[in-house]
Amino acid sequence: MGKPTGFIEYLRELPLDRSPLERTKDWKEFHVHMEDKKLRNQGARCMNCGVPFCHTGKLVSGMASGCPINNLIPEWNDLVYRGLWKEALDRLHKTNNFPEFTGRVCPAPCEGSCVLGINNPAVTIKNIEAAITDRGWEEGWVFADQPKVRTGKKVAVIGSGPAGLSCAEQLNKAGHTVTVFERADRPGGLLMYGIPNMKLDKKEVVLRRIKLMEDSGIKFICNATVGDNVEPQIFLKEYDATVFCTGATQPRDLPIEGRNLKGVHFAMELLTANTKAVLNGGAEHCPIHAKDKDVIVIGGGDTGTDCVGTSMRHGCKSIVQIEILPKPPLERTADNPWPEWPKTYKMDYGQEEAAAKFGADPRVYLTTVKKFNGDLAGNLQSIVTVEIKWEKNEKGQFIPKEQAGTEKVRPAQLVLLAMGFLGPEQALIKEIGLETDTRSNIKAEHENYTTSIKGVFAAGDCRRGQSLVVWAINEGRGAARECDRYLMGSTDLP
Amino acid sequence: MSVKLVSEVGVGTIAAGVAKAHADVVLISGYDGGTGSSPQTSITHAGLPWELGLAETHQTLVLNNLRSRIAVETDGQLKTGRDVIMAALLGAEEFGFATAPLVASGCIMMRVCHLNTCPVGVASQDPRLRARFAGKPEHIVNFMTFVATEVRELMAQLGFRTVEEMVGRTDRLEAQRAVTHWKAKGLDFSKILYSPDVGPEVGRFCSIKQDHGLDKSLDLTTLLGLAQPAIDRGEKVIAELPIKNVNRVVGTITSYEITKKLGAKGLPEDTIRFRFKGSAGQSFGAFVTRGMTLSIEGDANDYFGKGLSGGKLIVHPPANAGFKAEDNIIIGNVALYGATAGEIYVNGRAGERFAVRNSGVTAVVEGVGDHGCEYMTGGRVVVLGPTGRNFAAGMSGGIAYVLDQTGKFAEQANVSMVGLEKVESKAEIAELRAIIEHHVGYTGSARGKQVLAAFETFVPQFVKVFPKDYKRMLGCIEKAESQGLTGEEAIMAAFEENARDLSRVGGN
Ligand SMILES: Cc1cc2nc3c(=O)[nH]c(=O)nc-3n(C[C@H](O)[C@H](O)[C@H](O)COP(=O)(O)OP(=O)(O)OC[C@H]3O[C@@H](n4cnc5c(N)ncnc54)[C@H](O)[C@@H]3O)c2cc1C
Ligand code: SF4
Repeated sequence: MGKPTGFIEYLRELPLDRSPLERTKDWKEFHVHMEDKKLRNQGARCMNCGVPFCHTGKLVSGMASGCPINNLIPEWNDLVYRGLWKEALDRLHKTNNFPEFTGRVCPAPCEGSCVLGINNPAVTIKNIEAAITDRGWEEGWVFADQPKVRTGKKVAVIGSGPAGLSCAEQLNKAGHTVTVFERADRPGGLLMYGIPNMKLDKKEVVLRRIKLMEDSGIKFICNATVGDNVEPQIFLKEYDATVFCTGATQPRDLPIEGRNLKGVHFAMELLTANTKAVLNGGAEHCPIHAKDKDVIVIGGGDTGTDCVGTSMRHGCKSIVQIEILPKPPLERTADNPWPEWPKTYKMDYGQEEAAAKFGADPRVYLTTVKKFNGDLAGNLQSIVTVEIKWEKNEKGQFIPKEQAGTEKVRPAQLVLLAMGFLGPEQALIKEIGLETDTRSNIKAEHENYTTSIKGVFAAGDCRRGQSLVVWAINEGRGAARECDRYLMGSTDLP
Repeated sequence: MSVKLVSEVGVGTIAAGVAKAHADVVLISGYDGGTGSSPQTSITHAGLPWELGLAETHQTLVLNNLRSRIAVETDGQLKTGRDVIMAALLGAEEFGFATAPLVASGCIMMRVCHLNTCPVGVASQDPRLRARFAGKPEHIVNFMTFVATEVRELMAQLGFRTVEEMVGRTDRLEAQRAVTHWKAKGLDFSKILYSPDVGPEVGRFCSIKQDHGLDKSLDLTTLLGLAQPAIDRGEKVIAELPIKNVNRVVGTITSYEITKKLGAKGLPEDTIRFRFKGSAGQSFGAFVTRGMTLSIEGDANDYFGKGLSGGKLIVHPPANAGFKAEDNIIIGNVALYGATAGEIYVNGRAGERFAVRNSGVTAVVEGVGDHGCEYMTGGRVVVLGPTGRNFAAGMSGGIAYVLDQTGKFAEQANVSMVGLEKVESKAEIAELRAIIEHHVGYTGSARGKQVLAAFETFVPQFVKVFPKDYKRMLGCIEKAESQGLTGEEAIMAAFEENARDLSRVGGN
């Protein structure tokens, strides 16, 4: 199995992304392929561990450790090392419906728990995953597959993000007739209108997969907002089961002075509008535009990074990304040991591009915003930031304390709020009377997915709160399994 | 002296035998142990819980009033203080820990101990990997302190002051009734929790030292005294003595004194020569060192030359024997087990498992039973007669030469790790001849004389049993030497090259 000495002989190596200054001129993917021989050497670094963690997908200290969909990583690493790409793809598809998505956008908790990571750089699991699936598409090994037998049961899936898509595909495989309702004009959820094109190509990757799913017999209805132009009650009447995969789409707001000025937007307003514009003719038509503006992104996470990358491509004048937490350490700290998710400093693609153009990482840490300043016409002109310190209160919780005298006025004509999401939109949930948990998510247990209404299931961000694509796939698959069990009395779905 | 027994039904009876045979410790080993290099199937599908074997062992020893003479140890995934307490209450006073301290010092259970690729440098000879070892003795000290602390706490709860007080106190154990699993329904623990009804005169833990009777051994009564001038002053010593099969482990204590004084190099060849007449008991010549030559006119029991460490052993039948030496077994089973250096010459046949795990001895014998040369890793074995089945199973080093007059040897050999070749090079033929000449010189073997008389015609009938990995290693060493490397360096270079070779069959 594998090459026993591979991890001693080869160093970790990733393909070089397109250079930051070049790639910000277009909206194409920045990731490029690696040559076959190098990939095989990277596969050879896998140690086929006696006790592997990469495929476990457990929460350790609240963060994912190991692949949440239990990808059979050591097996396909070995197959890649031996050059058996088709077999590797078969193994990959056993656990992952959409490796071309995760291979591009997953933060790879698998690599954080890779045993080699104890004293060496981890195996390049994510890149190998992407290479296997891309190879499969090129070679024509991925094709539409109609189920041999139809059960005659009808299932509605609401929402077409990764949870909805994986759920629909699994249910279709089991022979049920699946209809997916999506309120946007194109399916894909955040894969379509959240994650930007340079990270995940819409036409070449997302829509390619949707087309295949349609060819396998799944029906997509877009521009269909359940609770608005689609009557929710029809599900309970016309469908044998319904799965909610509506995502956690409620953004966290920043209700401070000046919030209503023109130029203060939620991140998703920009990202959605921009992708739409790119797909419909060109980013220059995007109604929110960063060209020649001083842009400030509030929030240091992935969504913030996507805003930075998008603003860079618009041609912003300057960019600052504000983060309330301290700068993470370069190496794991003692209280964050392997196999936990490594809470270390990483330079993502957006920051890399800003650094290449403006000379430095755009992030400022331990900082928050006090107010937005505007002109008489109500246009945003600048923001006031203040540094903070995390202090323990009497209950022992860490709370941010503003540091007097550190206020700073920063010029800004565009501010993007990327401070996370609060949970699913409540109106529809209330209307049909689904119970929610304390965090306003739809109430249903993980691995069980049944809601308070019989025949109604929930999966993805609307159940677990804002999360990752790979968790959404995990949930979509699980909900499909439970739904199938509900419909047929037993199930063969994994 | 500790004897390790696998936990299973009937282990109590074996343990009683072990106690009677004067072992100081009997170890009951449970099923969930196993090192990283043991096959997964053995780890998960062989053996029984230590609790079963331990309870049975303790009860049997107490019932036969043997418990006070022997310490009982148990192991098999002991990890916590609670495990220790359970083991003590079931009858143990010593406790073995392996996996847990290993993990505490950095083992990540890769299960590649046998591949030289341990990524945390615990079980590896590769200097690059050893550099990654991050374990410290303190880690294990820390772990064991945790275990001991928990033991102390539980002892306090139970009201015990010493481990001895706890041994076998099954009355303090109660089977949990609340287990609701359907499989637990039919379980009856009374046999495990049974406490033998014996009087206070019967000891329940080890309190008396075993009498090994060493002072009655041939070495202490006779041989050591005779050998003293050799040990003290290097003088030559020759003696002729009778021997009986109650004389076990003959020569070992004398050899120990030599090694203690002179180290592994021992004495010059043939400094001490003892010639015995009669039937030798078990383990004749075990661990005998350089400078000692022991010969027997007669025969020997099992474990002849066990662990031989440089000495020379010779056996031949009496001149007036009424049988043909080469057709009869004159030494028992498992001769040369784990021997590392020296020579033996056997004028007659050996029993089963001859030269198993031999790693350096040169041996001549006139026939062997089943499983000859199993797991052998070094040395030369010449067999001047027939072999049993499964010859050379798992043999990874050394060479065996088998005189195959019937042409049937290939059917008997286990060729999964060895190749069967002809003896062709001049140097090798000469070496083989010299070994047989020694054999004839020491034993007067008729068979040996017959072979030497027409040596040229016999040479093609010798089959050379050559381990595949060993052969490649020798090739690599030769190559390394031709590139200017010498000694240890050449061997290491060859080792590295061989370790990466995909065609390699063994784990070396
Ligand atoms: C900007 C951004 C970048 C991200 N980047 C990454 C990343 O790089 N890697 C990663 O792993 N994760 C990333 N995430 C998180 C990831 O995208 C989500 O966790 C994942 O998409 C959740 O999937 P889902 O199917 O549950 O919900 P969503 O993808 O949110 O899909 C929900 C869908 O339901 C539809 N919907 C909602 N209500 C209705 C209704 N009433 N009627 C009809 N349709 C409805 C929505 O239109 C939407 O299409 C990112 C998130 C954001 C916001
Ligand atoms: S889906 Fe994510 S966690 Fe799983 S193997 Fe791929 S990169 Fe790793």
